[in-house]
Amino acid sequence: MNLFASKDDVIRWLGELLKEHVVIAPVRVQEQTTFQPISQVEDVVFDFNNTALSPKGWFLPPTETLFSVQRDDGKVELVPTKVERDAVIFGLHPCDARGIALMDSPFLQEPSDALYRERRSRTALIGLACRQAQPECFCTSMGSAPDDPSNVDILLTEGEDGYIVQAVTEKGKALLPKGLAEYKGKVPAPPKLEAVPTKEVVSAMRELFNDPYWEQVADRCLHCNICAYVCPTCYCFDMRDYADKGKVERVRSWESCQSPGFSLTAGGYDPRTTKGERLRQRFCHKLLYFPEQFQDVACVGCGRCVRDCPVNIDIREVISNLKQVTEAKSGS
Amino acid sequence: MDKELIQQIRDKARNLLKEGTVEGVIGYERASDDLTSRPLFAYSPSDTERLIFDETCAHNLVKYLLDKKGKKIAVVVKPCDSRAINLLLNEGQIERDNVFIIGVGCPGMVETNWNHKSETLQAKCRTCQLFKPVVYDFLAGGEIERQAEEETYSDITEEEAKSVATRREFWLEQFGRCIRCYACRQVCPGCYCPVCFAERLDPLWVGIRIAPEENDMWQTIRSFHLAGRCIGCNECERVCPVDIPLSLLNRKLEKDVKELFAFQAGLDPEEAPPFATFKKEEVMEFEK
Amino acid sequence: MGPESPFTPYLATLKTATQLTPDIKLLSVELEDPDIKAGFDYKPGQFALLSAFGEGEAPFGIVSLPLQKDGLEFAVRRIGTVTRALQELEPGDTLGVRGPFGNYFPLEDYVGKNMIVIGGGIGMAPLRPVINSILEQRDDYKELLIINGARTPQDLVFQPEFPTWMEAPGTKLELTVDRGDEEWKGRVALVPDVVKELAPSPGNAIAIVCGPPIMIRFTLARLRDLGYKDNQIVTTLEAKMKCGLGKCARCNIGEKYVCQDGPVFNLEQISQFLEQP
Ligand code: SF4
Ligand code: SF4
Ligand code: SF4
Ligand code: SF4
Ligand code: SF4
Ligand code: FES
Repeated sequence: MNLFASKDDVIRWLGELLKEHVVIAPVRVQEQTTFQPISQVEDVVFDFNNTALSPKGWFLPPTETLFSVQRDDGKVELVPTKVERDAVIFGLHPCDARGIALMDSPFLQEPSDALYRERRSRTALIGLACRQAQPECFCTSMGSAPDDPSNVDILLTEGEDGYIVQAVTEKGKALLPKGLAEYKGKVPAPPKLEAVPTKEVVSAMRELFNDPYWEQVADRCLHCNICAYVCPTCYCFDMRDYADKGKVERVRSWESCQSPGFSLTAGGYDPRTTKGERLRQRFCHKLLYFPEQFQDVACVGCGRCVRDCPVNIDIREVISNLKQVTEAKSGS
Repeated sequence: MDKELIQQIRDKARNLLKEGTVEGVIGYERASDDLTSRPLFAYSPSDTERLIFDETCAHNLVKYLLDKKGKKIAVVVKPCDSRAINLLLNEGQIERDNVFIIGVGCPGMVETNWNHKSETLQAKCRTCQLFKPVVYDFLAGGEIERQAEEETYSDITEEEAKSVATRREFWLEQFGRCIRCYACRQVCPGCYCPVCFAERLDPLWVGIRIAPEENDMWQTIRSFHLAGRCIGCNECERVCPVDIPLSLLNRKLEKDVKELFAFQAGLDPEEAPPFATFKKEEVMEFEK
Repeated sequence: MGPESPFTPYLATLKTATQLTPDIKLLSVELEDPDIKAGFDYKPGQFALLSAFGEGEAPFGIVSLPLQKDGLEFAVRRIGTVTRALQELEPGDTLGVRGPFGNYFPLEDYVGKNMIVIGGGIGMAPLRPVINSILEQRDDYKELLIINGARTPQDLVFQPEFPTWMEAPGTKLELTVDRGDEEWKGRVALVPDVVKELAPSPGNAIAIVCGPPIMIRFTLARLRDLGYKDNQIVTTLEAKMKCGLGKCARCNIGEKYVCQDGPVFNLEQISQFLEQP
């Protein structure tokens, strides 16, 4: 059953949630919109294109301490970081919610990542259906849709004078404000998006592995980490110790397979030394290794890498090109 | 789009490839948004049909010469980018004989993002005093006539006037957003150390935390490594995904070097930057 | 029982540190918690991540024998900041251990076979428990030929064990160095050349090869010349590892994660990887 909430209802509700939860929501920072824990509901932006960074950072922060090392009289104790509070992420678009669901595969696979698991189970996701798609969006080719409720606890859809509220999970139901009226009207149709031939290419990836295409497209790649850091499904990390004024912590931070030292071992061996090999890793992880390991393609079609790559390596174009390469191969 | 200019670039590129003078031509082509542009690596004469040039061709393609060392390559170069060629020649990173420079006179680049093109000229272009490249082998389209504002560094003097505490607060806020994606480094023609200090573990210069203090350290050292070497292409600021105003740092250092040493990077291939009066052999030594 | 987070290491005490070569130390460590110690089951070829708190973590093959529980042994070569810090630890100091991780040498599949174990430099580390396991169950295997190479005589890693290996029944130890010194009376030759010279028969044999990439490459070629099939040649792969658990997406070579699917593979398996190491 769908319910209805006016914008004021939603704002009041967020205010209530803020009392007991950390509320992470899209806010404006300079010219950009980004997910952050809010201190007041007034800061929340309701109408926005995909945020600068995805909300994955709540579960896999750019940097976090895994444990701190305490020494007492020569005795060492490791004190793991604790998750202190319940949280709500408000306003995730369906693609970002799917991104989180995809990250569950590696992180919740046993032995599960304790911090990730804690945050994940103590965080409710309130999604916001997209009434408009951006030219870089292609979620419908990647297993989601602008109105996809599958990976959130509650989905809001903007209707006339307010929001249609759909509680998807029990966790979502428990979180709903009391006294919302039933919504009997129609739910507005989602925007249409152009299709990308994902399926054909995913099934041909093994044959494409040694194609010269990778070196060609990698020519212009700068091997920065932008595409990985803005991506809701990239999850590579580095772990090192941080020692400062007697304080010692094991820290983990984001990293990306595009960065030059990523796969270089201490002994000096590197399985991927050319630009093409490195860029191929990115696409093969998303379109081949991850699907073989966890069934799904590790892209949700949010378009952030398309939007932010400084040299326009556009994953949709890469997929289309790969399809052409496959066709040319089977044709000849 | 200046059709004639583009034709000249294409003709030149095609001939260079046909005659075998170069192995490849690095230029610009239309991006996937059908509006802005992106680098193109043309290896066959037919690829050259995709070459374009217009006010969205912001990328400094000189950076890519570092990937193509030892190969004969032609590169399309704007006046500002051409200073990077002098920088790299001076620092022994590229060989003049291996590079064929297709210079273009430049009307100025506008602010762009994927699928967005504004009418406003980039700030660096408003004050750019170069109307043709400082070094080239072929000049497509000839020299351009246009008006440029004077570089007054007024924004820098304004910053300088603020208290240390205010400036510190401003920069910590800015660097607090940095995600250490290193795009600013990867795009910069002056950043080519085989192992950047930011990734060097022994000795450790800056930890892996993506947090204001480390980010601050990262940007402080980055900008100082470019003091007197930054050629002002402003590519670093353009690619920063979180819009950190790196030009304020770079231009502050540029201004100081200009005032102290009467030097501007990349104008003359013979004159070494003031903090870099080392020899090529020493550069190699440092890189080890 | 174990630590709640798979990233929290078990605490352990360094019992002894023995200088094996100028840059390799053998660390013997004991897990502090008796339950964890009792439950720490591992097999030859598996690895663990050692923590030097304040520096970080790095992967090392476990070089002791599985039955040995109060002294897990690791051969640590100084190549970076973590290995340096580990080498600087004094007996009694605390370090961290995570593991055991990865797969292992399927020794039970090799019962009844001639074993050729070829190691170069620190590559002998994962082979030491293989050799010692074979010697423990000597009757289960046929001939054992050990070819051990190093840059110089001082760099031969497990010298204290050489007498035991040499005296074991049906066992031959062939040593070789790239560069000898005044005292060295043995071979001065590269490992692949020694393989060629000794020409161990491929009949009913398994060759296990570990060492620097170049040595591996040429040794494999020599073995193939001798008629070894890819499924008779086994090696361990090196990769940059951080988590050891298939989570940091870093150690893959093609579709295989070295920390989980490896580090032990035979050549037939490797030749089917998309990406070639
Ligand atoms: S694809 Fe684009 S964003 Fe990704 S590393 Fe290459 S240049 Fe950077
Ligand atoms: S690969 Fe690009 S489009 Fe796909 S999820 Fe990541 S950032 Fe979004
Ligand atoms: S694509 Fe690259 S950065 Fe992203 S998760 Fe995979 S390996 Fe990591
Ligand atoms: S620091 Fe920035 S402006 Fe200066 S040369 Fe490098 S990329 Fe260009
Ligand atoms: S490009 Fe921006 S976000 Fe990336 S490292 Fe540089 S300053 Fe930080
Ligand atoms: S070491 Fe992290 S995935 Fe293998």
